[in-house]
Parts: sequence; C-alpha cells; structure tokens
Amino acid sequence: MQTLTSPIEVTEKTMDKPFLVIDQVSKVYPTKTGDYIVLDGIDLSVKEGEFVCVIGHSGCGKSTLLDMVSGFNTPTSGQVLLNGKAITKPGPDRMVVFQNYCLLPWKTVYENVHLAVSSVFPEKSKAEQDEIVRSNLHMVGLDEAIDKKPGQISGGMKQRVSIARALSIRPEILILDEPFGALDAITKEELQEELLDIWEEHRITVMMITHDIDEALFLCDRLVMMSNGPSAKIGEILDIPFDRPRDRAVVMEDPRYIKLRNQALDFLYNRFAHHED
Amino acid sequence: MTILVDIDHIDKIYPLKNGGEYVALRNVDLKINQGEFVSLIGHSGCGKSTLLNIIAGFEQASIGGVVLSGKLITAPGPDRMMVFQNYSLLPWLTVRQNIALAVNKVMTDLPAEERKEIIEKHIDLVGLRAAAEKRPSQLSGGMKQRTAIARALAIRPQVLLLDEPFGALDALTRGNLQEQLMAICEEYKTTCVMVTHDVDEALLLSDRVIMLTNGPEAHIGQILNVEFTRPRKRMEVVNDPKYYVNRGEIITFLNQQKRDKRRKRKVEVEKMAVPAIAAVRLVEKSVVTLGYVPTTDAAPLIVAKEKGFFAKYGLTQVELIADSSWQTIADGLANQRLDCAQLLAGMPLAMTIGVDRRRPTPIVTAMVLARNGNAITLSKKLYDDGVRDLQGLKEAIEATPELPHSFGLVDNVSMGSLLTRYWLASGGIDPDQDISLSLMSSAEMKNQLSKGFIDGYLASEPWNSAAVKDNTGFVVATDLEIWDGHQNKVLGVRENWAQENPKTHVALIKALIEACEYCDDRRNREEIVQMLARPDYLNLPAAQLRPGFIEPFQRSQDQAPELLLRFNQYYVEQSTCPRRSEAVWILTQMARWGITPFPKNWVELLERVYSREIYGKAARELGLQDGVDDHTLVKLFDGVLFNPDDPLSYLDSVTIHREICIEEIAIDEPVLKRTSRSLKTAA
Amino acid sequence: MTTAPARPASPTAEKAIEIFQSLIPPVICSSATLLLWQLLCSGADSKMPGPIKVVSQTVGTITGGFSETGIWMQLLNSLTRVGIGYVAAAILGIAIGVTIGVNKFLRDGFDPLIQILRTVPPLAWLPISTILFLQTPKPAENAGIFLIFITAIWPIIINTAVGVQQIPKDYTNVAKVLKLSGKDFLLSILIPSTVPYIFTGLRIGIGLAWLAIVAAEMLSTGAGGIGAYIWNEYTSMLDDSISKIILAVFSVGLVGLVLDRIVGWLGSLVVAE
Repeated sequence: MQTLTSPIEVTEKTMDKPFLVIDQVSKVYPTKTGDYIVLDGIDLSVKEGEFVCVIGHSGCGKSTLLDMVSGFNTPTSGQVLLNGKAITKPGPDRMVVFQNYCLLPWKTVYENVHLAVSSVFPEKSKAEQDEIVRSNLHMVGLDEAIDKKPGQISGGMKQRVSIARALSIRPEILILDEPFGALDAITKEELQEELLDIWEEHRITVMMITHDIDEALFLCDRLVMMSNGPSAKIGEILDIPFDRPRDRAVVMEDPRYIKLRNQALDFLYNRFAHHED
Repeated sequence: MTILVDIDHIDKIYPLKNGGEYVALRNVDLKINQGEFVSLIGHSGCGKSTLLNIIAGFEQASIGGVVLSGKLITAPGPDRMMVFQNYSLLPWLTVRQNIALAVNKVMTDLPAEERKEIIEKHIDLVGLRAAAEKRPSQLSGGMKQRTAIARALAIRPQVLLLDEPFGALDALTRGNLQEQLMAICEEYKTTCVMVTHDVDEALLLSDRVIMLTNGPEAHIGQILNVEFTRPRKRMEVVNDPKYYVNRGEIITFLNQQKRDKRRKRKVEVEKMAVPAIAAVRLVEKSVVTLGYVPTTDAAPLIVAKEKGFFAKYGLTQVELIADSSWQTIADGLANQRLDCAQLLAGMPLAMTIGVDRRRPTPIVTAMVLARNGNAITLSKKLYDDGVRDLQGLKEAIEATPELPHSFGLVDNVSMGSLLTRYWLASGGIDPDQDISLSLMSSAEMKNQLSKGFIDGYLASEPWNSAAVKDNTGFVVATDLEIWDGHQNKVLGVRENWAQENPKTHVALIKALIEACEYCDDRRNREEIVQMLARPDYLNLPAAQLRPGFIEPFQRSQDQAPELLLRFNQYYVEQSTCPRRSEAVWILTQMARWGITPFPKNWVELLERVYSREIYGKAARELGLQDGVDDHTLVKLFDGVLFNPDDPLSYLDSVTIHREICIEEIAIDEPVLKRTSRSLKTAA
Repeated sequence: MTTAPARPASPTAEKAIEIFQSLIPPVICSSATLLLWQLLCSGADSKMPGPIKVVSQTVGTITGGFSETGIWMQLLNSLTRVGIGYVAAAILGIAIGVTIGVNKFLRDGFDPLIQILRTVPPLAWLPISTILFLQTPKPAENAGIFLIFITAIWPIIINTAVGVQQIPKDYTNVAKVLKLSGKDFLLSILIPSTVPYIFTGLRIGIGLAWLAIVAAEMLSTGAGGIGAYIWNEYTSMLDDSISKIILAVFSVGLVGLVLDRIVGWLGSLVVAE
C-alpha cells in the first residue's frame, strides 16, 4: 500500500497544486457482526477550480465521502486535506447544496441568504451584506422572487436560492449532493446550464454527487466512478475532455460523448452492476 | 398483427372555473398491437398521464374513446392493471398478501390451490422470495416497485399500464429494474403502455416511442419505431449504431418542445400586457388584405368574396389583391403589405426557413385552399418520337445526350415542381443533371414549348390543355397519377398576425371552408367560371378555364377527353385540412434538391407552421371533423412508402439527390448561434 | 492505518449501558423536583406536606387500599365505569364515523351538530345524564358511564370519519382496478387504511374519558370511585387528608398515563408502520 501521509510528500503535491487531497481515506462502522467497511482506501486529489463529479450505485459510500469533505463525518483512517490542512469539522470554506434545498421555510429568499452572509461576514457593514445577498440572488436570476418564502416558489427556484446561499459566502469548495435529483427534466437542464455559467465565471472548485451520467458528462472535468459497497473504492476516473464553455448540443454530438457515455454505462451496469437484496 | 388497444381520436377537455375550458388532449389516435411495448414520452403537462388514465378507465375521454379487444373502456378493471409511480401497495399487507389480494379477488374462478401457485410463482418472478413476509415499509423503493409489478402481472392483464414506474427511483436503481421488467415482459409477451420522461428507458424497453407535444391541445408529435432485436441487453442496445441516432431524435423532439414551452410562456406574457378591448369584438380586424395569383386555384377566395362568405363571418372588408408572381406575394406578406395570401404549398415552410438568402418570415398555414390541378406537358416532338410515359422520356433523353433537354417550372417550392422533380427522379432522370430546369411564368412555358426551346413543363390549367389544343404538346401525366389529392395552394399568414388576430384568422378560415364546399359542388362550377373570367379577376376567356375544371380533360389530340372529377379538388375528403404528413414530405423534397436545409427541429417547425389548432377551431365551429391522422404512411405512384415520422431515414434512402444539409433552424433568432456548428451533411 | 477503530463492547453490556444512560436525566430531574418540594414545604407553618411526610402518612393507605372503601378499590371502581362507557363509545363511534365518512350527505348533515357537541365540556353533561338515569336502579353509576360515553365518542367519530375520507387515492385506485365490491372494499381497504385515524381518536377519547370521570365522581353523590375518594378526604380534612389526596392525584395521573399507553400499544399492534 502506498503511503502518502508524510508532510514532505504533501508539500510535493502542493507544488502541482492539489487543492483538495483525499488521502487513503477509509470509513469503518463497527457493528454487532463485525466491522462494516464503507470506504476502503480512497485516493483522490482535486485541483483548484476543477469540477469533479462522483457517480456510483446507492450504498457505494459516495455521500459518506462527501460528508468527510464537508466535515460532517470524519475518516476512520487516512485524512482529507484542504490547502494542506486536515478537515475535521464543517466550515464556511466548504458549502454544501443538498437535494432537498434545506431552506428555512419561515424566512424569505432574501433572509435565507442573508442569514448565511451575516453569520460568515459579521464584520461587514449592513450595506455590504445587502450587496452580497442581492448580487448572488441576481446571479441565479431570482431578483423578482427576493421577498417570497420557500413555500411560494418552485423546486428549481428553491435550488437556485440554495446555490446562491452557498456561493454568497465565497467558499473554497462547493459541494453538491445530487442537487438536481428532485427536479423535472427541463428545470434540471436549465439549472445545469446556469451552474456551469456560474462556475465558468468564478472557477470555484466543485465536487458533486450525481446519479445521472449525462449530467456528469455535461458538467465535469473528471468523472469519478465508485465501485459498489461495502468496501467501496474508486473504480475508474474518466477525463471529460469537451471544450469549455460547453454547449449541450455540441457536447452531445461529439463522438467522444457516446464513447464516454457507453464507458460509464458499462462500468455501472456491466462491470459493477448492482443488485439490491 | 392484431390491434389490442384502439385509442380512437380522443379529446380530453376540462372545464375551467372561469367558464372556459382547457383542452388537455386533442385528437390523439393510436393503435396498439397485441404484445407491443409502447412508451409515451413528453414534457410535464403534455397529457401523457391523462392519456394513460383514460386507457386505465380512471378518466373518460371527452370526445372519442378507447376500445380494448372490441369493448369500449368506461371504468377501471383488472384487464388493464396499472403500475403506479408511488407503488400503491397496501402498507398493512406483506408482499405476499399484496399479491394475494389481487389474485384472490380477481381470479375467483380458479381453485385456491392454483391461486396460491400463481402467487408464489410471481414472488419468484420478481426475485422477492426472501422478502415475501415483509411489509412495504421494510422494502427499498426498487423492491416495492417489483412487488407492484408482480401484483399487476399475476392477474394476467390484457394490458399492463405503467405510469412513470421508476420515476421515484434514482437513475441507477432504475436501470436494473428496467432490465428486469423487460425480461418479464418479453417472456410473458405482455402488451405494455408506459409513461416515462426517461429517453434511455423508453428506447430500451419499447417497440414504439410516441412523442407527445406540449399542452394545451397536446397531440402525437412524432412516432419512433425502435427496432433493436429482442431479447435486448442494455449494453448491446447502447452499442448498436442506431441507438444514439434514435436517442438523438427523441432528445431533439424534447428540446423542440422545451423551446416551444418557453415561447408560449412568452407569448402569454405579452398577451397579458395588451388591453383586452379587442376580445369583445367578433373579429379583431374587419379590413383584411388577401393576396393571390390569378389561377383557377384562386376560386375559393373569389367565391368567398362574391358569394358573401367573408361577410357572413364578420369580415366585411376583405380586399383581394391579385399579384403577378409568387415572389411578389411572398414579399407582400413579409413587408406587411398583405395580411394573408394564397401560397404555393411549399412556401410557408420555405419562407419560415428562409430561402435564396432572404430574411426568414415565420408563416402560419392553417388551411389548404386547393388540391391537385397540375399536369406535366411534353413537347409535340417527343410525342412524335414515340414518348408516351416516363420510361419513354428517359429513353429519349438517353438517346440524345448531345441535345440540351430542359423543363419549365413556375417556382422551386411549388408542389408541382417538387412533384415534377420527384417524378423525373423515380424514372431515373436526375432533374438537375440529365436535364435543366428553368423558372418562368406559365404563359411563357407554353410559348417556349411551341418554339421548341423547352421539352416540357409542369403547369396548372389552362396551360396544359392550351398546348394540347394548339397541338404543340401533350400531357404525359396529371398530378392525380403522381399523388392524388396532394395539397397545391394553401392559405398563409404571418405568425405575428395570427397571434394578434386569432378570431379574424378563424373567421377567415370558416368563410374559406364554406367557399371551398361551394367550389366543389359541380353545379356551381359554371357560375364560378363566369366569376373567375371577369376582368377584375383572371381576365381570361371562360372557355380557357373550363377544361379540367368542368369539361373533360384532353391529354393529346389522339385521345378522347376524359372527365377527371378530382382534377380541381377543394373540399371533399377533408381537403381543407392541412396534413402534417404532406408538410414533412415537402421538407424532405426541398432538402433533397438542396432548396432548403432539412430542419433538425422539424417537429417544432411543423407545429408552428402547420397550425392544426386554428383549423381545428374553425372546423369544430362549422361542425366538421377537426383533424386527420398525421402518422399514416404516404404512398406515391412509384410505390415508395413515405413515413412522416421518420424523414431522416427517408432522406438516407433516396438515391438521386443534391447535397443534403441537416440544420437546426432557429425561427426566433435569425442570427443563428448554434446552426453553423451543428451542420452536418448527409450523403 | 493511522487510528484503530474503537474496541466494540459486548452486545449485552452495551444494552445495559444504553438503558442506564437513558435513566440518568429523569432520575436527576425528578430528584431535584422532590428536593425543591421538600424545601418549600419544610417551613413550620406550611400547610402542604413535603414528600417525606406524604410517604410516611400514606403507608397505611397504600397497604390497606384493597378494603371496600380503600383507595385502590375506588380506583378500580372508576376504571370499570370508564371501561364500560369507553368501549360503548368506541364501538358506536367507529360505526358512526365510518357511516359518516362514506356518505357525503350524512357527513355534511351531521357535521355542524358534531362540531357543537364535541366542544361541550364533560361536566356540562352531568345534570342531563343524572336526570336521564334517575329512574334506573343505579342512577349515579349509570350517569357516570353515560358521561364517559358522551365525552369519548366525539373524537372517535370525527377521526374515523376523517380517516375514511382520507383513504389515499393510491388505495382506492387499486380497489377500482381490482373491482373490489362493497364488503371486500370495506375489509381490504377501508378499515385497514382508517385504522391509524381510529386509534388517534381512541387515544384522545380515553384521555378525555379519564378526565371526565374523576370530575364527575367528585360532584355526584353515592357513586364512589376515585373522584369521590378525593372529595371525601377533602371534606373530612383530617391530619393526613392532604397526603392522601396527593397520593390519589398521583395515582390518577399514573393510571391515565397507563391507559393512554395501552391504547397506543394496541394501535401499534394493528397499524402497519
């Protein structure tokens, strides 16, 4: 087994700019019948400004992996390093966007975002905070819904608020846990395109979980495919070479698209087919 | 193959609280064969679930009905088991009990022992032996849906209805279940109708994918036959070269509908901004300028004006403007000199796409004004050389390669021209290489033919009979023989005019439909001839207008005149209804001869240009049938079948053609951002 | 591997630790309450006995509670009445609830009446029920049972009716496709899917019934029961009366809790999770 835990090697890695390093991470849950190994020796380094998607069948531990990047969970062994520092708890440098939006229903769209901004940037003046909130909501096209409560807006708009809230506090990594899973096809595509536009503009590092191969191929630079749990590992990483900025129609007509798509399908349905029970 | 489910021209109309109505489905007509797997796909709100509920019997069609094995469906029943997206298992029963409930209540004529056997067999079928004693809350989503499928199949329904069965599952779990369902359906030869929004799911499972347009007035937009051999395996299917072609077609369809949805929303918003004063009046505009080229095909327009049909529907000041050429008409529409016009069949599409580097003008055509009425005339010289038919013409051309051969046409996008090219090509004559085609007026053609400058031409009357009469030419074929009942002249309006004046548009069509009916009554024809002959209309001697229109049609000096009842067809056989299948054919022919690119988004284009909504409204208000089947195969004289749902395969199959371009046509943004990139060439 | 996984404890020990840990908060808080009570009542002129005094004064009552007029027999007395009235309310309430739930005409017709009657406080029924059963052999006894019945029936009717109306469309769709007829529908779909609502009604009903009986027994004469027991102690005002009352009140609470839990437990047996 390779060991990359020594500080010297970490510095070496920083030289070719590994921004987020997931270093030999394993997660084990003790149970009555013995240890249950969720993740087994995950190694992945993500460059600054890179868009990485993680795909795998349910139960492959991809959410656990993401939780360890966000800090909601800690590895049993190995470590997750952001800018060379180990991640041990959640922090505003790593914002998470969940599938179910996680908005406070009694606060307006503006207040939901403002809450994040005021708690992360308490030192900023009222006017500055207001400016941040408004510019981020503008970025996701929600100027008109600013005073609405989550109950009054569509799922797509809720997810936009959630993205605006995440980006408003300038995180170093944006973590997306199946953000568009609950949306209809049209809204989903719209949001993917918006997310990509925002990413092009800010070049923020993104790590995203998805179940949707087409979504991953359209969005990411690298597609990390996980093998099935227990003891899930990284099975294969696909480099997604399409030129940016990307246009969906052009990407889908690229002959490489079909090749990559079939490669992913083969991985998920053939080599690592998953059968419940 | 026997038809099991016959969805017969159904409409689903919901009354609204404000007294209006919402038409969810309009004229949906579909026959499902025994053992077939059919998917319904479309964006949310396209009425696909409504359609499934009507088949299931949960809802009733407002007009039309669904017939299953000869019986009209009026209520739900176990012969049509439904698998719901949210499983609909009874939570207080175990897997086995859920299946048993259905079996025991439905298969009451079987002895208990046999029923038990069936229950156990189906538990095994979906691989739930280990979970048979579990209740739904203890199962994963996938297992729940397997239970629901087992429950549905256990009672051996005639049709299995699946309403987004895997919609609640994540994409990857979905994939596994799809393969299981497919294996079971293949084994049982179950007839299935599935609603889905997942393109891969539809392709993997179905024999036919029915694509529905957006509501309101949702209807079948396109039908795709999926031809992978069964039993299918996912990886084999996706590696089939046809897979991504098919997938691309469905995605293109859905993208078109997506754009359509956005556009409709925008139009709706703009409408709200306009004050509603116009809504009170019978028609928005009583002054309408209507352009036409004076031929016998203009009869309905002239009749509508002279016999008061326009006035009857509140159009008191319709001004008929005779123009000398089709180009003048097209320009008149584009620059708003004209509100509407009689157009050649190909013009609405050609103008919307934009030909000859002209700025595209979106046109709506909601009615056919005249069908048939053309003939191909060849020179006397060819007749003397023994040419009698297409084969003879080919031989004559081949025999004299050193001589220039040329044909006259009025316009590139007239139905006549497209039919001439088609006719020549099916005889093995390349219309651009073996001969030369030149555009000229009909009078000029007759003149040039008599002088021997051209070998033949296609024209409407009186130009064919005139040549026969002068003995300068003979009629080798009428268009009745090439494609009986094809559209020849249509009514066209600018799209924005149609949006601003919907009531005027409908009134206009109602008046013209009645005029068409008047024109097709042969008792009125002599009166019409007198009307047309007037100096303010065609300004021709009445005798010239009669051949074909009233009198028997003479093909050559040697032949006795024969009566062609349908030579000028205006009304019979739903003549006035615009047929989408014809429009697709026109698109393929224009692309085949390099006149326009073939629009990748052809469904979207047709939805906009060939407005069935407006025709349907007018027809219903007149008590007429409001639509025709757009998805039946078209058969022309050469026996080639044209499938209006699969134009791309058709273009692939033609042998004589120019370079065919397939392009995305952005109707709303003349500066094309995407088109240039997605351009590709078909051989 | 940088860190070793925690050594797993044996399952039984783990369970014991878990139970022990869950007991800590209630034990601490209850002790604090008792301590506070003792402190507050430790003054010389305090009319209220502290917990220590209560226990010492009621030892005899507790052990001798099974005599004819003893506290436990009185409690049993009350329970019997509740049992009869409540079971009658449950049977009739479910039947009426299903009928009303299925039939829109009856539902719309009876809804206003039910809404008015259900808000009537239990004790307001007392005079009526007393007069109603005046001529019967045991007027006070019967009046008490009727009071329980009339108090408990409303939430049962209402919840059952709501449950019937709210049968998820999924289930009725299944019934329609399978063409389940009246009896089959009732037994296979309607009753099972309404059961959770019925038990919600039953639980509210038992709570109200127990509330009502104690108050009713205090007011009516000659019926006995735990309410009468408290009232007697109050009127006699002996040295240990307050301690006895406190014991009785505590017992009433405890029984109420047990009744609620029993109905809840019955529900959990029948209701699919």
